[in-house]
Amino acid sequence: MSKRRCDHCQLLYEEAVLLCDETVGEPRFFCCKGCQGVYHLLQSEGLESFYDKLGGQSITPPETPLASGLEKFDLDKFKERYIKVNDEGFCEISLIIEGIHCAACVWLNEKVLFQKEGVLEASINGTSHKARIVWDSEATSLSSIIQTIRAIGYNAHPYDPKLQEEHANAARREYYSRLLVGVFATMNIMWIAIAQYAGYFTGMRGDIKSVLNFAEFVLATPALFYTGWVYYRGAYYGFKHGYVSMDTLIATGASLAYGFSLYAMFSGNGETYFDSVTMIVTFVFAGKYLEVLTKKRAVDTLDAMIGSLPTEVTVIRDGEKILLHVEEVQAGDVIEVRPGEKVVIDGVVLSGEASFDESSLTGESEPKLKGQKEAILSGSICLDSVVRYEASATHQGSILSKIVTLLEVSMTKKPRIEQLANSIAGKFSLVVLSIALLTFIGWFIVSGSFETALVVAISVIVIACPCALGLATPVATLVGLGVGAQKGVLFKEASFLENMAKSRVLLLDKTGTLTEGRPKVKEAWIDPACEVDVLYALLGTSSHPVSQGVREYLEEHTLALKEATLLDVEVVEAKGVQAKWKEHAIAGGSGRLMEELGIAHERVGATHYLFSCDGVVLARFALEDTPKKDAKAVLAHLQKMNIKVEMLTGDNETAAWKVAREVGITQVRHSLFPHEKAAVVEEYQAKGVHVVMAGDGINDTLALSQADIAIAMGEGADVAVSASDVVLLNDSLKSLEDAFLVSRKTYRTIKQNIGFSLLYNVTTVPLAVLGFVNPMIAAISMSLSSLVVIGNAMRIRTMLKKGK
Amino acid sequence: MSGGLVMVMVSVSIGLGAVALLALLWGLRTGQFDDQSKFINAVHFDDEEALRDAAMMEQKRKEAQERRKNSGKKMPE
Repeated sequence: MSKRRCDHCQLLYEEAVLLCDETVGEPRFFCCKGCQGVYHLLQSEGLESFYDKLGGQSITPPETPLASGLEKFDLDKFKERYIKVNDEGFCEISLIIEGIHCAACVWLNEKVLFQKEGVLEASINGTSHKARIVWDSEATSLSSIIQTIRAIGYNAHPYDPKLQEEHANAARREYYSRLLVGVFATMNIMWIAIAQYAGYFTGMRGDIKSVLNFAEFVLATPALFYTGWVYYRGAYYGFKHGYVSMDTLIATGASLAYGFSLYAMFSGNGETYFDSVTMIVTFVFAGKYLEVLTKKRAVDTLDAMIGSLPTEVTVIRDGEKILLHVEEVQAGDVIEVRPGEKVVIDGVVLSGEASFDESSLTGESEPKLKGQKEAILSGSICLDSVVRYEASATHQGSILSKIVTLLEVSMTKKPRIEQLANSIAGKFSLVVLSIALLTFIGWFIVSGSFETALVVAISVIVIACPCALGLATPVATLVGLGVGAQKGVLFKEASFLENMAKSRVLLLDKTGTLTEGRPKVKEAWIDPACEVDVLYALLGTSSHPVSQGVREYLEEHTLALKEATLLDVEVVEAKGVQAKWKEHAIAGGSGRLMEELGIAHERVGATHYLFSCDGVVLARFALEDTPKKDAKAVLAHLQKMNIKVEMLTGDNETAAWKVAREVGITQVRHSLFPHEKAAVVEEYQAKGVHVVMAGDGINDTLALSQADIAIAMGEGADVAVSASDVVLLNDSLKSLEDAFLVSRKTYRTIKQNIGFSLLYNVTTVPLAVLGFVNPMIAAISMSLSSLVVIGNAMRIRTMLKKGK
Repeated sequence: MSGGLVMVMVSVSIGLGAVALLALLWGLRTGQFDDQSKFINAVHFDDEEALRDAAMMEQKRKEAQERRKNSGKKMPE
């Protein structure tokens, strides 16, 4: 059978399943009614150029029903929370648009919004999918705007931009401007400085020298006072709270050199050091900028997650269904959840039965069937039928919102080790500044000349400028980060390298981290009389991971599979699927389904799939979530590196130990809830041990944000990735080992660099104090020491290559 | 070479660079670089139609403001 693309979403389907539509000239094919509807709408609006702009990329078929839950957008509570009225009296809202894949999607959404009556402004960010819409509330309403977006196959959620985004965005923009000014000044001052240095050695006319000095002055001023503003601010806060930091040293060093250069420029005596001022300020600033950048990314993901949480629930009061904002729901209210909805409030089931996907909380891939009196947790997703339950907590008290709050808190308090590094640099700065002051006083008394004393004191500060010390860490980490990235290991912040190198304990999640995360067929038995095509078709009707696992197995092991046509397909909640094929009654699912149907069957492992036709079992599959291939070897290496490995899982004891034995882990904690995992991390930290935690799900997120180093595996949930410090791109455990290797090598290099720069300062500062060094030479030797540090850092690359 | 000439050359080159820097900073302030993917891809869609859309949006905004004003004036009566 030939395959064909749906004319709207461009996804590939079997030709037979596509809907054929001949109303628009040549026949068109669609995968679903939704796609067809959007196609017609675009045609009638004259927007068919969207498909050219799409350029063959595929998009998601529309899913959300047009009108579902629209009324909530016009509730007063909602307006109060999300809609802002601007100065001109127009309404403004920030939305996150779901389903955007490419620039063409952005174009289409904007275009449609532009054409909508009453919309005055619409801009969509193609990277974060956040949109800002301004409209005239007299001409249109928010619900109708959202309906417009849904009509073209996308969906929109409101979010509160005040949360984090605006703050992070403003900070990033400000830092970027400052960096640009600094870089501009540095680049230009460098070419002037070359002329200056050449003139110093070969001689230069006084008037030309003063022109160059003045040009340098013009460039250095914005660099010092605009870009360098952060050091002054840091120094001021430090001063206010009674400590000296790296900021203080840079601020004093730079301003003293600047002040002296001003004096030299106007008096015409001595050399100017505007170039050193600019370069010190800019280079150190670049490091600060990178920090701000990573923070912004994490905020984006968090907003997207909060935005997709429902803000309203259906509550049954006096036999009537009403829509209530989650904050208004009291414990004891009866709430109704429909298939596909996310539960936001904890509760106990009153009536109905449905399976719930709790994977985001426990990490277990198999949905759980919940009947009367069983507890359901917020964060789980109702999969197949309508359930009414009694709320056992308010929204604030529910697990989900607790997790979100904790995440928000942890994201704002990440940097730890930097403060330590800063305090060391602070003491160093204090010592240097006092030495410089003493030198100045000493020389002033001895020589009696203010100028000589100042020149020597500045030499001391310049030569002791913590450039090498300041560069020792960033350059080495930069190289370390680069090597890591080549190996598919992304460290989100430089200081994490250091933390990781110090770690002695590694905590691992089971599902998805140690194992593949999807059940795979271990044992299969298929009766020769079994119609594989029928089984294949039946498996296709369910998206349950077990069915998918068996389906994959069939695809791998059977040739020429064709889906047979089934009738009366009926999903039996969390147990399996029943259907009719020709005259035969067929069923596929768990042993419990077979028992219900009164079909005799053999017991197979915990995760299994049975297929029966007319009451006889024709196929049996036992499935297992298998450990990743390289797990055993990597864990053995890690243990050799003197790292203690422990497994934390939400799964039951037998499943946990089975995997542990296979990969060679001796310490296991099982049946843990998200906050219990975090408690284990805390327990280790209380003993003063640095902990690395690796995981992939939302259920690990709390533990991840608690750990000193959090590692998210490549395919992990977005929230897990944003809470983590290290991301492994290729999802293999080998890169976990690489992460340890890279961080340890880098850390060793950092220590060498710091050692060298301290040695450098110890030998050169006395020389400078004695007046053997003029500021010019001081600046040159300072640069040389920086070069040594950089060269040493470059060795990380070669060391790791040799290690391979 | 006279000092004056050097001064002219240096100030013109730095001045030109500064103009470009200021333009960049202005773009940054007004949010033109906030969205990398749009910045790169939107070039493909930048045509006469986009211009027409921009003009239309401006028109719509003016009309809405006009309406506001008129209804505001009528209110006190």
